[in-house]
Amino acid sequence: MWQDLMFRARSLFRPRQVEAELDDELRFHAERQLGQYLESGITREEARRRVRLEFGGLDQVKEDCRDARGISLIETLCHDLRYGLRTLRKSPGFTAVALFTLALGIGANTAIFSVIYGVLLRPLPYRDSGRLVILNETNPRVGMVSVSQMNFEDWRRQSHAFSELASVYGVHFNLSGPKQPEGISGIAVTPNFLTLSGIDPILGRGFSASEEKAGTPPVALLSYPLWQSRFGGDPKALGSTVSLDGRAYTMTGVLPPEFRWVEQVDVIEPVGVLATRNDGFETRGNRGDMMVLGRLGPNSNREQARSEMEGIAARLAQAYPLENARCGVMLRPLREVFSGDVRPAILVLLGAVVFVLLIACANVSNLFLMRGAVRSREMALRMAIGASRGRIAGQVLTEGFLVAVLGGAAGIALAGIRGISTLIPRASLAGASIGMSGPVLLFSAAVVLLSMFAFGLAPALHSTSANLQSELKEGAKATFARGRGRWRAVLASAEIAFALILLVGAGLMIRSLYRLLSVDSGFRAGHVIKLNMSLRTEQYDKDPAVLNFWQKVLDGVRALPGVRSAAVGTSLPLTDDHWRDDIWVEGQPVPDAASFPHPDMHVVSPGFLSTMGIRLLHGRAFLETDRENAPLVVLVNETLARRLFPGRDPVGGRIQLGRPRPGRPHKWRTIVGVMADTKMYGLAQPARMEVYLPYRQDASNGMALVVKSAGDPAALTSAIHRVVASIDKDQPIVGVQTLQQVMNDPISTRRITLILLSLFSVLALVLSAIGIYGVVSYSVAQRFREIGIRMALGAQRRDVRRLVLGQGARISGIGIAIGLAASLLLTRLMTKLLYSVSAADPATFLLVALLLALVALAACYIPARRTTRVDPSIALRQD
Amino acid sequence: MPEHIGLPQGTLDLLILRTLALEPQHGWGISERVQQMSRDVLRIQQGSLYPALHRLQRRGWVKARWGTSENNRRAKYYELTKAGRRQLTAEQDSWHKLAAAVAQVLGPA
Repeated sequence: MWQDLMFRARSLFRPRQVEAELDDELRFHAERQLGQYLESGITREEARRRVRLEFGGLDQVKEDCRDARGISLIETLCHDLRYGLRTLRKSPGFTAVALFTLALGIGANTAIFSVIYGVLLRPLPYRDSGRLVILNETNPRVGMVSVSQMNFEDWRRQSHAFSELASVYGVHFNLSGPKQPEGISGIAVTPNFLTLSGIDPILGRGFSASEEKAGTPPVALLSYPLWQSRFGGDPKALGSTVSLDGRAYTMTGVLPPEFRWVEQVDVIEPVGVLATRNDGFETRGNRGDMMVLGRLGPNSNREQARSEMEGIAARLAQAYPLENARCGVMLRPLREVFSGDVRPAILVLLGAVVFVLLIACANVSNLFLMRGAVRSREMALRMAIGASRGRIAGQVLTEGFLVAVLGGAAGIALAGIRGISTLIPRASLAGASIGMSGPVLLFSAAVVLLSMFAFGLAPALHSTSANLQSELKEGAKATFARGRGRWRAVLASAEIAFALILLVGAGLMIRSLYRLLSVDSGFRAGHVIKLNMSLRTEQYDKDPAVLNFWQKVLDGVRALPGVRSAAVGTSLPLTDDHWRDDIWVEGQPVPDAASFPHPDMHVVSPGFLSTMGIRLLHGRAFLETDRENAPLVVLVNETLARRLFPGRDPVGGRIQLGRPRPGRPHKWRTIVGVMADTKMYGLAQPARMEVYLPYRQDASNGMALVVKSAGDPAALTSAIHRVVASIDKDQPIVGVQTLQQVMNDPISTRRITLILLSLFSVLALVLSAIGIYGVVSYSVAQRFREIGIRMALGAQRRDVRRLVLGQGARISGIGIAIGLAASLLLTRLMTKLLYSVSAADPATFLLVALLLALVALAACYIPARRTTRVDPSIALRQD
Repeated sequence: MPEHIGLPQGTLDLLILRTLALEPQHGWGISERVQQMSRDVLRIQQGSLYPALHRLQRRGWVKARWGTSENNRRAKYYELTKAGRRQLTAEQDSWHKLAAAVAQVLGPA
């Protein structure tokens, strides 16, 4: 084998030398032969003649040697390629359509695969990331919740399935210094986080075990981008300090540039530093913003880990019923946490582009078949003069290869990967980068090859099935050649079926997006801008300072020209960042530990409801008089009123936050109003129970400022910045967005999926229309004579037209039927993307089928009309 | 002049291998040797000899090197490889079997 290859390779790559050697060899032979003849006494003349005779054609000998050396295979390929290029150039229309079709199919696949690779396949920048798992606690009342530090410590002590567990807290800082103040985020981790995940700082050191305990002096690792922007990437900056929340943190290291976490991370601090400034660590019921990263031990899998953790959680729930009753554990692979949001969408899109490619292949295959029919006489002729069937099939495949490669190259160029990557919301990418890369190119190359076989095989097989006799006989084609026509009809049906599947998918998306957009959010988002501030420095440790800051901001902003109203509040729509607490309603029996009502708590200033456009159903909103020393008041939402005050008016009723404890006096708060439910948690999410507290009675350091303006709200941004800077120049402002943008963000994944899916399905519709048009019009052209005969025998134009339309109807009918059945099976896979639309929505299915039928009919009508131009006297005289 | 017999299909390779089993030889030498050993009955046409040599080379049964001929000219010498020797044994065996079987069928002349 090896020998064989080497031998072939030598003659392929050093043809001149090999040929020269052959020349030498043959000359030597001729001379010896000549010498022999001369010795035997023949005249020189005669001897020469004999030698020449014996050698036959010298060129023939050489050619045979070449064949024997086995380079002919490759030379044949080169010939075929050259010939293929020539024939493609000679039929530019065919070539252009085939290339364009394929380029679309391959381009779409390349683009979507680049996203899939970036988000789902590219290895995460952690050691052996497949064995990393994220753990959360679950709570039957609200679902997935954060982990409490005390529970985490018990997990760590009791679990054996994990080789290590690390806690990861989400933290936020105000970064101040010589430059503009910035709000940054990061994580606080147990010191083993870095070793567990296999991350080495590129500069400085990681954390030491002692840095887990409270009292650790403030140290932090900086992300690569933050190091670049704050220190210009200066390695000497190691050991210098940054001011986070007004505290000096020593920078002990820099993270590698490829580091990324589920959320934006600018700094990492050891959990001991967080524990120093937080007192919730010793309280089991306190669940901050924490999840646990675990590495599965060498001898355990996720299932074992899950059952072990469930056992531990059950024990903890028994041991601490007050804090842990009915609490469970949830395990998710790290990859899923990174890509959870977009995964269903991109998988659906992958399905869509595969269908587009299949349609494209079917189309190109049809083109080739048609051309094959036109060239059948050429093929028959070539076979008659000695070309083998394999050789002819090879040549057709070579042409297919050329089209695939050229189309693929154009497709990769067209893919518009950059365009797609900008369409996808940054937030849902979790730092994944999308772009052209080796694996993506490899994938595209594989797609090119696969599609070549997909569309090239049928034509190649068909080209060799030509019947020499009938093909070469002049004018033998009075009627329609069946075999090839059937293939084309099957392909056209398949195209219609694929297109239908895509259109149904797009239709379902359109309907759910429409339903989603017509949901009443409960907000009036127009002309409102929001921004977030978090008061984190020491000067805001006391409530009066906090209240004073918010009051000054409100006064300053309300005085700006163009501002209609302004308010602060902790609740913004479509953010899931809420504080929750148990409540107890006065006059009702004390519930058991696990079934206390657990509503979300929002702190808002007066004017919040009117600024956000939330309707007040009953009672009154907050007033400026609901102050520190005034009676405690709350607002509740509709859902809470319905559940906790069934059949009676909650206004005037009283609730207490937290559970009643013996020996602690009740702190009753009077309900003064009921507000309408809002789609606070996403348009597709059900409303939850909510309690609103006046901001002066429950001071909050982190608030969103919402401002309603007369004109464009974004124009107010810089004025608001100036107001804040005049109060505290080190206070950063983050998350400036109009409310409209806030509302749009969460549905952006759906919308982009919809846009792309619609694009692909329109593409599919057009391609399949072209497909069926091609098949029908070609068969009309082929049956020209037959139609002529029929008409000569008395058929009416109407009959003939019906004949042609009937063929189209059969093709599209079969396609639509198969497509509908397949759609029923496939759309179930996209249920996650749908909203209040069934995956088998009859209206969508019906409409799409109708649309396709109409398009197919229109595509057939054009060739059908052409039959009316058939003149029997001309048709019969043809050939 | 003795009568020449056309070579049956497939025997050319066998003859070449057999000839080369004696000693490395150049193309002309091979055809001469076959002619001698067959007492002028078999003659190999150059037109088929050289393609056959290239084919055998590709299969790895024969390898070639340049050497100097008996009349002091540069010539390409072919020799058997190990695989070639094995091939020769195998082909000789099957040839003998075939010849015997054919003779059996034809019966005494």
